Amino acid sequence: MKLKILPTHLREKKRYLAFEAVSQQPLKREDVISILWDTSLHLYGVCGTSKFDLWVLKVWDCPHSDDYIIRGIIRCRRESLDEVRAILPVVTRFNGKKVVFFTIGISGTINSAVKKFIKLKEVDD
Amino acid sequence: MFIDLHVHYYPGITKDAWKMGYQGLVLVKSSEKLSSHSNGPKGPSKDYKNSDIRAKISTFEGVEVRAKNPEDLKRKIQRFRNSTDVLLVHGGDLKINRAAVEDVRVDVLAHPYQGRKDSGFNHILAKKAAENGVAVEINIGYFLRNRNHRRQKILAQFREIMKLKAKYDFSLVITSGARSIYDLRSPRDLMALSSCFGMDKETAFSSLSNVPEAIIEKNQLRHQIISSGVRLLE
Repeated sequence: MKLKILPTHLREKKRYLAFEAVSQQPLKREDVISILWDTSLHLYGVCGTSKFDLWVLKVWDCPHSDDYIIRGIIRCRRESLDEVRAILPVVTRFNGKKVVFFTIGISGTINSAVKKFIKLKEVDD
Repeated sequence: MFIDLHVHYYPGITKDAWKMGYQGLVLVKSSEKLSSHSNGPKGPSKDYKNSDIRAKISTFEGVEVRAKNPEDLKRKIQRFRNSTDVLLVHGGDLKINRAAVEDVRVDVLAHPYQGRKDSGFNHILAKKAAENGVAVEINIGYFLRNRNHRRQKILAQFREIMKLKAKYDFSLVITSGARSIYDLRSPRDLMALSSCFGMDKETAFSSLSNVPEAIIEKNQLRHQIISSGVRLLE
């Protein structure tokens, strides 16, 4: 039997963080998940990370000339938004190659995050 | 308006910085590279001269003075002061740190904690820095270049500086010290990170925007200043 879903006022409030990553190698969603979790565990430890409800929803490839650029959406709890944001600048390397993450924007729903910040067609300019 | 006060030039830096959310950049050159051929930094190179992004992002020039001893530092400050927008001093050595905060011509004391076990900064230096209007740099790039054990040490050094800042109220600047896009970080992300070393949001915001702006503004008026408190008006 499946658990009944919580009523809205008891659910955790979420925030969706649109990010962009530039790297020297192509990144998949699994890579992004492991990068963020490893960094978060380094920075805040197990206890801190457990409070964030950190999850990577989806990533998009953006065609670019020299480096590999991806855009994606991270989910976290509304209360721990600042802590999650602080994880991104700490990322420096993955598998010996350089990576840089930065936030493009923050949104309350996935839909508006995609519409406002991901905007795949404009990536080139 | 977010300004990064300490970046090194590479092709395409203005575009990357604009994407991250900066509106101003100070392109810093080391005094050692400049000393061999010219007196001051050259004008902007052609890469960002003809790009349209230049209209949106303002760039300034800076010199990072590296000196062996306080006398050498004085001589180099004298030499570069008038030809540059922002003058930084490469800190780390105790005597250099002391000489830098005692000089009104210095704008920024860059990483006084570099290569040290302590923060390289104490209450005496803090008082002098507040008196002479020398800003102290929190270099995030230095934090990022180091790994686990060193990183926690560096955060502790930052925290010590924050403690002194609370009492003596000298100005702080947060910079990236970037040499490529992989060192640049978005200013809003840096604000979030700065809570890790006990900086509150308002201080973090002003040390990325208001303080660098004030430094640049002050330097544009510097040639009018005769002595402290006296300004020549046209």
